Amino acid sequence: MKLSKFPYLVQNEIFDHMRHSDLFWLSFVSKNMKKLIKLSQITRFKCISHIVYDEPMLDKRLVYIPCKNIPENIMRIAEETKNAFEKKSKIANFQLNVSGKIIDFRVTKQYNLPEAFFHPNDRESAIESIHNYFLDLFGDSVECQWIANYPDDFIPHLHNLSLCISVGRSCISIKEMEALETFFASSPVLKHVRLETYARELFSPESKFYKADSIDLIQHYNAVPTFLHHFQGRQAVFSCSKCDISDLIEFMNRWRSGEAFQKLEYLKITITSNGIPLNEVLTAYGVKHLDATKTPPRHALPKVLKPLFFRITDPIISHTYIVRDTDNRVASVSIREDTLRFGVWKETEEEFLRMVE
Amino acid sequence: MSSTEQGTSSAAPAEPTTAPESAAAPEVPESFYYVHGKDKVVHKVSAGALQHSALIHGMISNLGYTEEQAKANPFPFENIDGDILQMVVDWCNQHKGKPTPPEDTNLPKQKEKLFDLVLAVNYLEIKELLTYCCKQVAMMVKGKSPEEIREIWMIPTDAEDEAAEKEAKKRAGKEAAGETAAAAGDAK
Repeated sequence: MKLSKFPYLVQNEIFDHMRHSDLFWLSFVSKNMKKLIKLSQITRFKCISHIVYDEPMLDKRLVYIPCKNIPENIMRIAEETKNAFEKKSKIANFQLNVSGKIIDFRVTKQYNLPEAFFHPNDRESAIESIHNYFLDLFGDSVECQWIANYPDDFIPHLHNLSLCISVGRSCISIKEMEALETFFASSPVLKHVRLETYARELFSPESKFYKADSIDLIQHYNAVPTFLHHFQGRQAVFSCSKCDISDLIEFMNRWRSGEAFQKLEYLKITITSNGIPLNEVLTAYGVKHLDATKTPPRHALPKVLKPLFFRITDPIISHTYIVRDTDNRVASVSIREDTLRFGVWKETEEEFLRMVE
Repeated sequence: MSSTEQGTSSAAPAEPTTAPESAAAPEVPESFYYVHGKDKVVHKVSAGALQHSALIHGMISNLGYTEEQAKANPFPFENIDGDILQMVVDWCNQHKGKPTPPEDTNLPKQKEKLFDLVLAVNYLEIKELLTYCCKQVAMMVKGKSPEEIREIWMIPTDAEDEAAEKEAKKRAGKEAAGETAAAAGDAK
């Protein structure tokens, strides 16, 4: 069967039915084939939300494209130490020219997925070549997320690569916070940060930490004012030991005036100490209440990250809300037990009220 | 509902026999048309079944043939092998007036047959069957390495592509030179 004998439209339709991973391997067959795939799949590749370089498991990093909640595995990257590399068989099943670098691949029975492997000295250049190949094939604008643990895992600095980082296996000490701040300053774009710390103070106001798209933070002191004052991302799940109600009210006022938190979609703050009267937040100026007999709409957080990487964020169903002065958009505010949940809607107040049943 | 009989290459096709209807008979008598492939075997197919083919449907909707005229003028598809046309006719009959299922597992497993079927179905513009065929072709390389894919789909290497391109350029150059010489000869 000669694929080239099929009319162009038939070839296109065949490609349309192929998985991204199979198109990826097909693109290595020849330069012309790669060109043809890129040309025929422009629209489809534009729909790729992102490519994930998952956290390493047994020194192997899985690369996948999330497709409708099911990860479509592309390949594995073996990040071996020099000793492990030398112990293992060096026999490759095949070699490929990946963006100008010849890389060995093997297919292991365990995963039945091609696995790139290389000498540790070649790690950086091999990963860069693989990454560049993804961008060349799937489009330069596709976002790639590198999931890693700090400080153990290797973190490359590459174009279009953002970092999802889990800091430490346990709580981070005050001393370690300084090193962490330096690390953030030199890290790629931060997509997500998960951190638990005993430090009283967080980072300096200029820290890239606050610019992370989403943050999952456990802090064993009152860090509400610092965190809320500087956070510029989209989603945050935050636990701390105590807080002042005035800080929460100030946060809501700043959001309402449009002065800050323009990108915010979801915020959850859990106060671990007892006796903090969180309900007082709902009596603050500007908080509106729906009729108690009505059913409010359900605000759900879009799932952009691996569920295990971000603590569960329950949907918000609340009768209380505030409205932003600048664009009339609504945020539902809910207090349940020790937790404040704040979910921003795309809808204006008028549209929001139409969703109330 | 299709029937076949070994025909000849003469203009008048052999009388095909009609197999019993598998579905309930329609209230209005159905019109039939006749098609044959490279092997000249004539297949009698209902207009309903032929609706799957945009090409044939377009042809018959403009003809207004009577049964006798249709019988006397089978549509010739000389570019389609007889067994492939038989598969297409069977598929059209099986799916006549029915919604097409998401998968079709009755497609040929042999590479060459599937290849010919894709070309035939594309030519006859049978959209749903083309989709099934393309899915099956795509499945052939699922989980395969680049070299395995190259073998299955007979994809030339870069070097082969370059050589073919050079050859094509050379041929085009020769042809252009020939045309120039011929034009000069004519002018004399």
